[in-house]
Amino acid sequence: MFPYIIRRLGLMVVMLTLLSIVTFLLFNAVPTDPAMLTCGKSCTPELVAANRIRLGLDQPLYVQYIDWIKAIFVGRTYGSGTQTFPCNAPCLGYSFRNGEEVTVMIKAALPITIYLALGAFVLWMVFGILSGIYAAKHHTEWQDRVIMGVALVGYSLPVFFIGLVLLIFVVVRLHLLPYPDYVAPQTNPVQFLQTMILPWISLAILYAAYYTRLTRSQMLETLSEDYIRTARAKGLPESVVVRKHGFRAGLTPIVTSAGLDLAGLLGGAVITEYIFSLPGLGRLSIGAVTEYDLPTITATVLVAATFVIVANLIVDMLYAAIDPRVRLS
Amino acid sequence: MKKSTSIRFGVGAATVAMLLTACGSSSGDGSTTGTKGGTLYILTQGEQILHLDPQRNYTGEDLAFASGYLNRTLTQYTLSKDNATASKLVADLATDTGTASDGGKTWAFTIRDGVKWEDGKPVTCDDVKYGVSRTFASDIITDGPSYAISMLDIPKGADGSSSYPGPYKADAAAQALYDAAVTCEGSKLTFHLASPSSDFNYTVTLSAFAPVRKDADTGEKYDDHVLSNGPYKIQSYVKKSKLVLVRNDQWDPATDSLRPAYPDTIEYDFSLPADVITQRIMADAGNDSNAISPDGIVPTQLAAVFSDPKFEKRRLNDLDPYVRYYAINTKKVPNVKHRQAILAAANREELRKIAGGIYAGDFADGVVKPNIGVDYAPTGLWDTLLGDKVPVTGNPELAKKLIADSGEPFPNPLVVDYAKTPTNDKAISSLVASLALAGITVKPNPLEPGGYYGVVLDPAKQGGMSAGGWAPDWSNASTVLPELFTPSGGFNMSQYDDAAFNAEVAAAKAMTDRGEQAKAWQALSVKSMQAALALPTRFGKEQRLQGSNVSGAYTWGPYGSYPYATLSVK
Amino acid sequence: MTQTNEVLLSVRNLSVSFTTEDGEVNAVSNVSYDVRRGQTLAIVGESGSGKSVSSLAIMGLLSGKSAHVSGEVEFDGQQLVGADPEDVRKLRGSRIAMIFQDPLSALHPYYKIGDQLIEAVQVHNKVSDADARKRAAEMLDRVGIPSVEQRLDEYPHQLSGGMRQRVMIAMALINDPELLIADEPTTALDVTVQAQILDLLRDLQKEFGTAIVLITHDLGVVADLADDVMVMYGGSAVEQAPVREIFYQPQMPYTWGLLASIPQVHVDSTRLDPIPGNPPSLINMPTGCVFAPRCTYKNQVPNNLCATTKPDLETTSSGHSARCHLTAAQRDAIRLEKNIGRSN
Repeated sequence: MFPYIIRRLGLMVVMLTLLSIVTFLLFNAVPTDPAMLTCGKSCTPELVAANRIRLGLDQPLYVQYIDWIKAIFVGRTYGSGTQTFPCNAPCLGYSFRNGEEVTVMIKAALPITIYLALGAFVLWMVFGILSGIYAAKHHTEWQDRVIMGVALVGYSLPVFFIGLVLLIFVVVRLHLLPYPDYVAPQTNPVQFLQTMILPWISLAILYAAYYTRLTRSQMLETLSEDYIRTARAKGLPESVVVRKHGFRAGLTPIVTSAGLDLAGLLGGAVITEYIFSLPGLGRLSIGAVTEYDLPTITATVLVAATFVIVANLIVDMLYAAIDPRVRLS
Repeated sequence: MKKSTSIRFGVGAATVAMLLTACGSSSGDGSTTGTKGGTLYILTQGEQILHLDPQRNYTGEDLAFASGYLNRTLTQYTLSKDNATASKLVADLATDTGTASDGGKTWAFTIRDGVKWEDGKPVTCDDVKYGVSRTFASDIITDGPSYAISMLDIPKGADGSSSYPGPYKADAAAQALYDAAVTCEGSKLTFHLASPSSDFNYTVTLSAFAPVRKDADTGEKYDDHVLSNGPYKIQSYVKKSKLVLVRNDQWDPATDSLRPAYPDTIEYDFSLPADVITQRIMADAGNDSNAISPDGIVPTQLAAVFSDPKFEKRRLNDLDPYVRYYAINTKKVPNVKHRQAILAAANREELRKIAGGIYAGDFADGVVKPNIGVDYAPTGLWDTLLGDKVPVTGNPELAKKLIADSGEPFPNPLVVDYAKTPTNDKAISSLVASLALAGITVKPNPLEPGGYYGVVLDPAKQGGMSAGGWAPDWSNASTVLPELFTPSGGFNMSQYDDAAFNAEVAAAKAMTDRGEQAKAWQALSVKSMQAALALPTRFGKEQRLQGSNVSGAYTWGPYGSYPYATLSVK
Repeated sequence: MTQTNEVLLSVRNLSVSFTTEDGEVNAVSNVSYDVRRGQTLAIVGESGSGKSVSSLAIMGLLSGKSAHVSGEVEFDGQQLVGADPEDVRKLRGSRIAMIFQDPLSALHPYYKIGDQLIEAVQVHNKVSDADARKRAAEMLDRVGIPSVEQRLDEYPHQLSGGMRQRVMIAMALINDPELLIADEPTTALDVTVQAQILDLLRDLQKEFGTAIVLITHDLGVVADLADDVMVMYGGSAVEQAPVREIFYQPQMPYTWGLLASIPQVHVDSTRLDPIPGNPPSLINMPTGCVFAPRCTYKNQVPNNLCATTKPDLETTSSGHSARCHLTAAQRDAIRLEKNIGRSN
């Protein structure tokens, strides 16, 4: 298994490199000139030219790319004349739109998105799987129909609707929670939880609905398998039959979905971050795209891609752990 | 996303905007007396203040905010609800509103004694001089106005760039050029201009002419920790989260008659969703009764706010700094009767409805807006100037008559440039329909919003009519009419070059009697409409709501902003 | 063979029906039989005859679905129909065990052989992992699996089909049950392996004294293993008899058909005579004899009786009963004419 992981990680570096090249090329293909964007009203050709130099856009694309790659390992210097400042390795560039080093912004945004994604993930997996199993156990009974009805509603609601309704009712109207105001958990755990609980719930409602449906259909399928009949014939209590024999067998597709959904969220939950004023990766990347901020776009794309690739690797390893018929080599 | 950016570059609304300048002094007319203490909350969807660096700050609301709390400028506007009063200058960091000599080529200001930086060091003439010099470092100090470069008497190269590269890169010879143009003798600061300017003391309301101390300058990074000389200083600034201002104990109220500095703390909360901001201020609960938002009421709640009397004392519905118009390219439509026909045929009511109805603005009768102050007077455009009354829905019969009178056919098709957005698409469809009634064939030319002005400001690429928006940089029509309608202006989408008009504009610019000058601008405004250089559609308006504890809130004409310096909370 | 007359399992009037969207499915109707300790009852029938469903009902494995079970099932004096499901669960795997047709799908693919055996031990006995594993190894050894220690740590997909069925048998017998229900235990296996598995079952029955209910569609298997035979058709028992009687004195046309389909090398192959037609739909049961639509001899019964009246299970000789309207004389005549039943 170890050489397999090494090979996959090697492949990841290749993919990320290609992706960064593609991002650079795509960015260059946009008709908008970023140098014009920061030039303002009294823009003159000289100012645009000065701006282009400042943004590094006067260089050929491949030089920009090599500089960018180099800075990751050795850092680089921005500014000019007596006003220069260093961007230390790993330097992912300087965002002139935000007035900040990209590495610093990623470092600030990443934990927020990770907390958001993981918290929601735990919630939706627990609720989605439990209610899915419960619905499957009560297949054809009223409990099943109620759960599936609720799940259908939850699944149909757009996340911005859930988020806004929660925020406006729970916070603005009923004052049950203070306004979202993100602080790191180590700074103020209570405020952290007060801020994160609604975003977690908003995301979890959407995903839990999906995982309820997924778990239910998986359970219905595996509970009709012959080996489940065997397990019952052995005299195992029903709870053991469902949990140990049924659930584990139905786990593979759930793990696949969960891995990819979590990875997707770690790349940034744009709408949720926007509604709850969480300055995470999603806001960072959308802001970068609308402002033609190349270094930030590239960095956020790479971070998101890394999550997806790593998640795929982990999912594949979990497959092997769950299903002995799958062997990694 | 920074709202200020999109407004400034007009990406969404197909306007390029420019900005007004000026900062406020309150004493005169800031008649309401506020309560000391408390925290004023400012809620915004923006992720940061675009620029706090005074030389890079060029957004109306941000200028009003920063000048109200953090950086004092040589002169400032009066803090008043009344537009005419507000457009009057008062002294701030200078002891008076400046002295012109040499026919307006030399301007002198005396720096007030006793004004200190937040670390206790005095604000000196050299600090102002250094601050102004930063504008020249255009590869670092971006986004700000470049008046220092264009107006100061420093040699320029063939390509128009200054021989002075700014303080970061200048060698001794280059620095000498700047030192000759801006001089300090004790506390007396003198600017030597390349050509006369009668209103340079208005120009210096822009914070681009505010002091920065050399030893505190951090170039690109100065945005994040500006040194204050106003009544507040930055306690903490976390972009995307919040900016907290606390009292600056080095600020001496005796030196400052403009800033009553009522609240103890100012908290600027970033990254909030627009709907939530409006909902919160409507609900008016807890700290939100101490809150304002520069973002304006979201369109979906406008009806609710303006139909409910309980919001009556908390809402504002006033002109913003922008005029919306279609510049008519006089090179493509040279016959004045043809241009007048366009004005007569357009259905301005439908255009306003598409833009958002009554809340989008008032019908415009020119490009000079009432909130500029004394320079505005009604032009009579829609009553008499075109020879007959023109209702807001247009007068196609008059348009046809004007074309007939011209003695030549209209140069169809009329190519109309606009930045492609869904709203603008609808507006152009309306133009196509209304102008067709007069026999004018409109050919829409949608352009990518980010590159819009790059195209239409290039005479080779511009069509017959181009959508635009404009806000003056300071409260004088010298920042409007010359910019839009003379070859020396930076935004002459009308490509107008009329010797008589140019001469009258030059004369008006040189007038030193402000009352006479205002009359001259009013007359020129009428002439520009008679010549049908543009189809003015709207004087833009903005709707705002503030918490019930906030006093002294109104729309301050010079910036179309809140009068930050005089706001207080109960 | 251990011979006692004590009845271990007594089934009386067992009926099972399912509610489906298409209507009520009567899978088993009024089936009664006894299984004595140490003996083997073979339940024979085509698929859909209700033979598997009746045994699942005994095991309490139909509960929770839309199944309705009625009648009486007495196991060693304990009534199972309507009993607390928990009591029935405790019997399963300890006193009543079951093996299934396809050992690959019946073993859990994700768990090691050893773990599945150990689980079977520990669910009914408080023993340590080590002891349970020892017991598992012992059982694997006894069902003839080589390299037991290695096998314990293998997964089902690593074994051959025969080995897997041996594992299933080991797992079923690991708690020394009194009754083993073997549902088509050899159907999915190669012919040569089938014989090995049947030999194994027979040997183990001798060794442990386990009673066996052998469910099969193959009368050839029955001859080797069973003491008694019950032939089922359309959810009903149509003939019940000791194994000798079934082969020598079969009384019912359906049984005749089954016997005729056994390939026999020593008889004329032209006699191979499959039953015409298809098994009945369990939703719309014929009002008369369930076998009537396929019965070649129904015209010999007067008044269209076969189509209108369901025949009773009628005792024809000691321990032998059959459901048929034909008279004894008619049956003898037909058997003679068709040469049905083994001559001595």
